Amino acid sequence: MQDWKSQKKPFAAIATAPVFWLALFFIAPMTIVWLYSFGQNAGPADIDISGTLDNYKRATEWLYLSIFLKSLAVAALTTLICLIIGFPVAMAITFAAPKWRPWLLLGIMLPFWTNLLIRTYALMALMGTNGYMNKGLGELWDGASWLRTLVGMQPLDAWTPVQLLYNNFAVVLGLVYVHLPFMVLPLYSALDRLDKSLIEASLDLGAGHFKTFMKVVVPLAAPGIVAGVMITLIPALGAYLTPDLMGGTDSQMIANVIERQFKRANDWPFGAALSFLLIYAMFILIALQSMRANKVKEAR
Amino acid sequence: MFNRTAIAPLEYTRKLWMRSWVGLTMLFLYAPLIVLMIFSFNDSKRNVVWKGFTLKYYEKALNNDSLVEAMVNSLTIAFLATIISLVIGALAAVMLWRFRFPFKGLVEGTMSLPIIVPEICLGVAFLIFFAKVDWPTDLPWPLNLSAITIAHITFCFPFVAMVVRARLASFNKEEEEAAKDLGATEWQAFRDVLLPHIKPSLVAGALLAFTLSLDDFVITFFTSGPDTITFPVKVYSMVRFSVTPEVNAASTILIILTVALTFIALKYQGVKGISDAH
Amino acid sequence: MDFKTFLHAGSNRRAMLKGMGVAAVGFSLTGALAGCGEKEAAKLANGEEAKLNFYNWDTYIGETTLEDYKNSADVDVNMTLFASNDELFAKLRAGNQGYDVIVPSNDFVERMAAADMLAEIDKAQIPNFKNVAPEYQDVPYDPARKYSMPYTWLALGIGYRKSKVKSVPDSWKVLFDSDEYKGRIAVLSEAGDMFRLYGKYLGKSVNGLTDADIKMIEAMMIKQKPNIKSFHEDNGQDLLLKGEVDLVLEYNGDIAQIMTEEPDIGFVIPKEGSQLNSDNLCIPKGAPHPKNAHAFINYLLDAEAGKKITETILYPTPNAAAKALMPDDYKNNPVIFPPAAVLAKCEYAKFNPELQPKYEEAFTRIRAA
Repeated sequence: MQDWKSQKKPFAAIATAPVFWLALFFIAPMTIVWLYSFGQNAGPADIDISGTLDNYKRATEWLYLSIFLKSLAVAALTTLICLIIGFPVAMAITFAAPKWRPWLLLGIMLPFWTNLLIRTYALMALMGTNGYMNKGLGELWDGASWLRTLVGMQPLDAWTPVQLLYNNFAVVLGLVYVHLPFMVLPLYSALDRLDKSLIEASLDLGAGHFKTFMKVVVPLAAPGIVAGVMITLIPALGAYLTPDLMGGTDSQMIANVIERQFKRANDWPFGAALSFLLIYAMFILIALQSMRANKVKEAR
Repeated sequence: MFNRTAIAPLEYTRKLWMRSWVGLTMLFLYAPLIVLMIFSFNDSKRNVVWKGFTLKYYEKALNNDSLVEAMVNSLTIAFLATIISLVIGALAAVMLWRFRFPFKGLVEGTMSLPIIVPEICLGVAFLIFFAKVDWPTDLPWPLNLSAITIAHITFCFPFVAMVVRARLASFNKEEEEAAKDLGATEWQAFRDVLLPHIKPSLVAGALLAFTLSLDDFVITFFTSGPDTITFPVKVYSMVRFSVTPEVNAASTILIILTVALTFIALKYQGVKGISDAH
Repeated sequence: MDFKTFLHAGSNRRAMLKGMGVAAVGFSLTGALAGCGEKEAAKLANGEEAKLNFYNWDTYIGETTLEDYKNSADVDVNMTLFASNDELFAKLRAGNQGYDVIVPSNDFVERMAAADMLAEIDKAQIPNFKNVAPEYQDVPYDPARKYSMPYTWLALGIGYRKSKVKSVPDSWKVLFDSDEYKGRIAVLSEAGDMFRLYGKYLGKSVNGLTDADIKMIEAMMIKQKPNIKSFHEDNGQDLLLKGEVDLVLEYNGDIAQIMTEEPDIGFVIPKEGSQLNSDNLCIPKGAPHPKNAHAFINYLLDAEAGKKITETILYPTPNAAAKALMPDDYKNNPVIFPPAAVLAKCEYAKFNPELQPKYEEAFTRIRAA
């Protein structure tokens, strides 16, 4: 790494555009909102920046902290499920024959290019009380019932549809559905760089597939896993369309609350305070993770 | 499924359980999309129950000027935003990788902020910002898309920077120095040595930026005006009351367009394996 | 964080991007060429360009209304859609981005007028005002109709599936205070409306809730929450139609629309009374074409145009002249036009800047409970 002073001209050429853009089109707008978080409503459409900390005090009440913790739990669960489902898929793509690989990758990415709202509605159509999933399950149930009569047992009770929608299950499923491609790509990219001979060596030395997996593949793919977790957890934490559409009466997540402040409650200062608390929290998460990564890099 | 040759130990993908796993995942990902496409042919205004086959909603969607305009706007914004994000993101990555400078940690942190700010907060921030600087609202097309494009670039380029930076980590500085020893100028070294190395990450970043921009709803909602509707915003306002087959038809068209473009691109280039030399 | 590359052979992905880029450019060019032709808007006799930006709800206009207007007045109406009053307010709060006519609900007319966001309407330019039924010519939320013209009016009530209920649910108790239909109920997610209707259920006026009332209602709602399947966002009629729920808190116009498709659906306004709403046409401050806006509003209040709109959307209309032209099964439909005795117990919600945040916070607590 060079010191910028030693190469002033190239530095200027490279650094001007990003820094300028960041300053003008990101820091400036966010500063206004940040200032709002210290203000209060003065009439329906004006905000008086009075330097008050009331908004932050209110944002740290247990009510909002509990919602934040719940959102974190849901996002973490989503990430875990994506990891469990996504890892074998990533492995399958890595070890597939070269002529199939671009198609498999494309296959994973393609749903990602559809509009999120439409995908969610399509998923909801499938999961409704009279949707195809329930119909399919109903058919299976009836089939099982019929089999039972065949062998002389009592048939099962009539099928009542399972509630697949408007509850936390639906929210998690919806979030997994949306974020799965996000998890697969970094995993694939990390696995792809893996030296296959290491796996072969481990198998040769007598370790079974599972042991090889846990002791060789996972540690070497760790950076990819961390990247995938970060890139899934953070957007999941900020998700609001999916819980809004698919959730039940107690599936409120922190982003829904923030949205309510900016829209219905018309309380922009409070919404700003909540958003910034969320930002600080996520920022700390990332900072901790990258400090750890740097330590690991130095230790190597 | 039925093995003609024996499966080598590392050929996981040929194992049955692996194939079923991937197959089920694909089914999970695609089932709603297939239902969506089938229901775009449904002859029912409310689109809740299948009532009959019809193509009239495709006609309606294609004749719906505002829907087509929204699609064009979305693609244009995505295209412009991707290109500019690529440039700014790549520059940012190189800057962070190559130089030491005061406040570097701060700049690095700030650059990752657009990714973690809740979208609605960023959307409101842009709304107020553009209002306060009196951004003109009656420019001709495509300049009137500038507000939205600027907003998109702001949240896309950190992703590009992240991807490029990861690739830069594996760059061998000695190659660049060798080029300079042989007489290349800074710019030539950059163009002929560094740029080819980061090309794959530029492509990945471009893909990511394009997708993020095309699908963005919240931020675009706050920065768009009556003449600058994009596809997600239009669809959102249409599905709020009920999902008519027209919306399904429009989405199907967009999906088919995307797939078609991809096929054309792959045919043009030849379906090369990903496993080219690392 | 070690991202590495997603794909190594940049070539095929780059080509894909190139292909997409080519297509995008192609689209942009065709769009630009198409746009170029239209952007030369003619100047009208009143000095404004022949254009109008109309910000409206979805499916809230007649099938041919905009074309008919273009043929009669030669003005191009560009209708864009919004999905809720809050979105409308949030967007226009910081400044008008070029909208000429907007359609807020009654309490938002009050709010926007208080926030100085609406332009006064010049009644001299709207002779069709005489078509408006007398009870809508002067309303509590906009005295003397300074800022708004009525477009539709609505009442909240209970939509239900006849075959699945034991008796006609003529009291709010079914939705708010009983587990008779556990898991088969959907109510609104709008905090203000919910609190006010609970107030009605408890026998109070919608605009007279005190802090103690709010606390009590909050406790009631938390108790009722396990029986509710969903807080819907104005798509309750779809939930009812799909069979997700059997009872839903919804507007009479929405239910009337699905009743034409499904005879098993019924609607009733509970005996305790309900809340009235009204959607209105307003001109925001800073509209680029105010004269066109007035002319358009005048057109929408015309009897024939109003009739065509009402035929499509089937909402109750405040336009007496248009109503007279509608068929009997519309005029006498008890869902669309509830009997006067019932309407007497319904009130308009007033915009209350003190109570609204309290409702919202309480609702956040309810949803988190």
